[in-house]
Amino acid sequence: MKLNIEGLLVYFPYDYIYPEQYSYMLELKRTLDAKGHGVLEMPSGTGKTISLLSLIVAYQKAYPLEVTKLVYCSRTVPEIEKVVEELRKLMDYYAKQTGVKNDFLALALSSRKNLCIHPEVSSLRFGKEVDGKCHSLTASYIRAQHHSNPCQPVCQFFEEFDAVGRQVPIPPGIFNLDDLKDFGRRKGWCPYFLARYAILHANIVVYSYHYLLDPKIADLVSKELAKKSVVVFDEAHNIDNVCIDSMSVNITRRTLDRCQTNVETLQNTISRIKETDAAKLREEYMRLVEGLKEANVARETDIYLSNPVLPDEILQEAVPGSIRTAEHFVGFIKRFLEYLKARLRIHHVVQESAPQFLKDIYEKVCIDRKPLRFCAERLRSLLRTLEIADIADFSAITLISHFATLVSTYSKGFTIIIEPFEDRTPTIANPVLHFSCMDPSIAIKPVFGRFQSVIITSGTLSPLDIYPRILDFRPVTMASFTMTLARTCLCPLIVGRGNDQVAMTSKFETREDFAVIRNYGNLLLEMSAIVPDGIVAFFTSYIYMENIVASWYEQGILENIQRNKLIFIETQDAAETSMALEKYQEACENGRGAILLSVARGKVSEGIDFVHHFGRAVIMFGVPYVYTQSRILKARLEYLRDQFQIRENDFLTFDAMRHAAQCVGRAIRGKTDYGLMIFADKRYARADKRGKLPRWIQEHLTDGSLNLTIDETVQLSKHFLRQMAQPFRREDQLGLSLLTLEQLQSEDMLQKIAQIAQQA
Amino acid sequence: MRLSLSRDALPQLTCAIGGIKQIIIIIMDDQGCPRCKTTKYRNPSLKLMVNVCGHTLCESCVEMLFVRGSGNCVQCNTPLRKSNFRVQLFEDPAIDKEVEIRKKVLKIYNKREFDFYTLKEYNDYLEQVEDIVFNLTNNIDVERTKQMMEQYQRDNKDIIQRNKAKLTREQEELEELLLQEQQGSEQRRLETLQEEQRQLQAKRKNKQALLDELEISKLPAAVLLAQHKDRASQLETQIEKQKQNVKPANIFSTGIMMGQTVSLASVSRVEEVLYVYQPLCIDTYGPPVPELDQLGRLGYLNHVRTASPQDQAGGYTSGLACHRAVQDAFSGLFPS
Repeated sequence: MKLNIEGLLVYFPYDYIYPEQYSYMLELKRTLDAKGHGVLEMPSGTGKTISLLSLIVAYQKAYPLEVTKLVYCSRTVPEIEKVVEELRKLMDYYAKQTGVKNDFLALALSSRKNLCIHPEVSSLRFGKEVDGKCHSLTASYIRAQHHSNPCQPVCQFFEEFDAVGRQVPIPPGIFNLDDLKDFGRRKGWCPYFLARYAILHANIVVYSYHYLLDPKIADLVSKELAKKSVVVFDEAHNIDNVCIDSMSVNITRRTLDRCQTNVETLQNTISRIKETDAAKLREEYMRLVEGLKEANVARETDIYLSNPVLPDEILQEAVPGSIRTAEHFVGFIKRFLEYLKARLRIHHVVQESAPQFLKDIYEKVCIDRKPLRFCAERLRSLLRTLEIADIADFSAITLISHFATLVSTYSKGFTIIIEPFEDRTPTIANPVLHFSCMDPSIAIKPVFGRFQSVIITSGTLSPLDIYPRILDFRPVTMASFTMTLARTCLCPLIVGRGNDQVAMTSKFETREDFAVIRNYGNLLLEMSAIVPDGIVAFFTSYIYMENIVASWYEQGILENIQRNKLIFIETQDAAETSMALEKYQEACENGRGAILLSVARGKVSEGIDFVHHFGRAVIMFGVPYVYTQSRILKARLEYLRDQFQIRENDFLTFDAMRHAAQCVGRAIRGKTDYGLMIFADKRYARADKRGKLPRWIQEHLTDGSLNLTIDETVQLSKHFLRQMAQPFRREDQLGLSLLTLEQLQSEDMLQKIAQIAQQA
Repeated sequence: MRLSLSRDALPQLTCAIGGIKQIIIIIMDDQGCPRCKTTKYRNPSLKLMVNVCGHTLCESCVEMLFVRGSGNCVQCNTPLRKSNFRVQLFEDPAIDKEVEIRKKVLKIYNKREFDFYTLKEYNDYLEQVEDIVFNLTNNIDVERTKQMMEQYQRDNKDIIQRNKAKLTREQEELEELLLQEQQGSEQRRLETLQEEQRQLQAKRKNKQALLDELEISKLPAAVLLAQHKDRASQLETQIEKQKQNVKPANIFSTGIMMGQTVSLASVSRVEEVLYVYQPLCIDTYGPPVPELDQLGRLGYLNHVRTASPQDQAGGYTSGLACHRAVQDAFSGLFPS
């Protein structure tokens, strides 16, 4: 249908639309008009993706000069593929309606591992291997050697692409990863490099977060994206953790040992080159004396996305004299390495700030701050000069150099924690140096600064106002949308007590209590008897799950449950888990039903949807607080309190509730779907926890569904399930939660729609 | 059942990992004294020492060999003093040696960035220092390098003396940051403590008030409870608001941090010849142009439009235009 969103003609590829989709598009359009950033929360399963795509594409078509590019960031490859499929539907609809052939270029981008078509390279199993092998076939000097010596193997796909691929633009169309591979095979071009090149002039790019947020990758891939782009982060409820991970460095003893061998290789290569080709080193030296001017010019002309690992001062200055020659630099790295080794040889935990670390390093090994800051750039230049083919081998030394640059650049927002052993195994020495970023805004700042509109959206972003605070940006719109429903198809219940009136909670003091564990078991047992098909149960951690299931086994509860349904368990092993999932689905399909025991923050809770009969009930055992004894978390909490005035407790609750919401949200994937959401912990009934659930869940939490006993829960559930099992047709929804174009345009519907969006 | 498998496998797995780590530790502890062959693994209290030549000996060997206070290195025969033995800090004794040398060299070569006019000169200087350290550690041209150092020391006695107490700019910055950090954390600790106490007190007071009212008042309890609930929520929001207002004030209005020691490092003096003004002398290749104030007397001004009051507001006088025109007319009249 064709919609009129405040004067913008939007083609929507379906015959019906949800009212909240319309409302979502309205808000989105206002954000784009204002050229600002937005935070939008809409329940999962209400068509976020298609609303986003159809509005932004319409905007691009209407104002091609205002918005030149859409950059859609998602988390996993399957999600990326899903987005491309929606996009294809949309474009087909455009072609059918307007009769004009599609002139948009949209493509997905992923790693070499997913895109390589070279017969030898693509058969390798790990991403790192593929990258390394690819680099050893496509590096510039390898190809130069190939010219003089044809025996030197090169990648013919890359050669072909390099010869002609850049001149001939990729034709307009929608390309997912497989399409790209097909296209590459047909033309004989490397699809990976083709895609990387093509994103510069593509209208829509779909890729993973890391291509924008991880400074090492963003520098290669995304730095030339146009300023007038709209960036969308979908499923962004975890974006702060992604940011933090991308800037943090963990150094173990193993890293240092590997780094040691790297240094030796470097030394040997240098002495060899010095004998054979001293001119090359001299040339590099002269370039360094001049400074990194090239990069500076590019930044000044605003072509590039800035890189937080490459601070501005570095570009304006020449490399300090003490690390200019190759030998001196290697000596410098050696000293740094030995210093780190000495630091890791401790018996107690040390936590210090970056300035303290710098002071100590100056006293111990006379390393100044400035050469440290240039370390990453200097190493890159050296590796290029030495023409080392297999970059993958040098990951350890690269990591160390990044650490050096970061620690000397940022005096705030980072902390250094050196732990001699893991908390769980205090007898085994396993020293780790955590250089951990505490401020997610450092990594994402270039993105907010560079692009005119950044949209952060997910099904669970409540409370909305915390994201702008921890990511340090000012949104023009913050809105949360509810789900309009023809029937209340979700039923959140908070179970606080067992039938014996013992409070149910995963609080630390009582989590070992037999009564609590038994009550949890009884709850699952009762539910397994009345809920049809699949039940998904989430625990707060793997250890907790293991403990509970073990004592259920001893108490015979497990046996009773297995009379009703099969039980599957998520483990830390990915292969095992996917096997369990597959069998779980099989069991649900054949009608007997099954129970999946899994863990909040695990793989199942983040990426797997349980549509319809795969998840009729979700039970959340306990509040999924993050492990609070970790020193990294403590440091981060302290930082949040000092810098952003966010109290520890607020943040912990926020974090726990967003994961709980994420878990229970797995069950409802659309309006025809229905499911029970059972929060089994009395703490959920408190206002501070309840208030942090997304609005679309909170709406259905009445006073009658708080602090229930197991019996009451069973009664309510039975009632709910019986109601939901009645046939439900599209006609029941029409006009209420599903609209045709005429219904949408009626006066009172428009009024209703205005109420859907709640501005935060 | 799947469960039993994973539970059984787990301890074994951790055992295996533990074993690997044990091996790693053994490798790590494999450092030992080259003379008596004791290793750290066999004797955990082993103390390794290094002297200026960069060769290791354990403490007991040092005691034994250097009873008389001096002797030669077992490995390279360099004459050594016992008092110069230091505890080996790093795994690679060469680094210990290098750091030792570096510290010595840096004591002499202690010029700072502001002693140089350009960054390039400073960088060249840094490289030179690095060369000296490199030569000394790797025993290249030791004699010549030492001579060079002595020469430098004689030449730059004043600067060395002057810079001895001075920190580099970067170190000053670091010190400042550390100070700030310390003050900040202390202040915050106090603030949070006070804040918590205040909140606790307010809540307690509120509760007491409710109890009192229930005791005295004639209103039904339900109403009182409702009132109390209102008040409690108000209190909550108040606290919330206060929390957001708290912004540590540790900045003077000038932007200088409180308690910060402003660095008073002297601005580097540029020693050059002062600029002296020399009047401009232009050869016009024409007859001499009359001075500005003579134009009226010589009658040139009669041919120029007199300036209106509006023109004069901007500083214009008819003399200026006339003078310019005369200059134009006169210049280049005599072809040279």
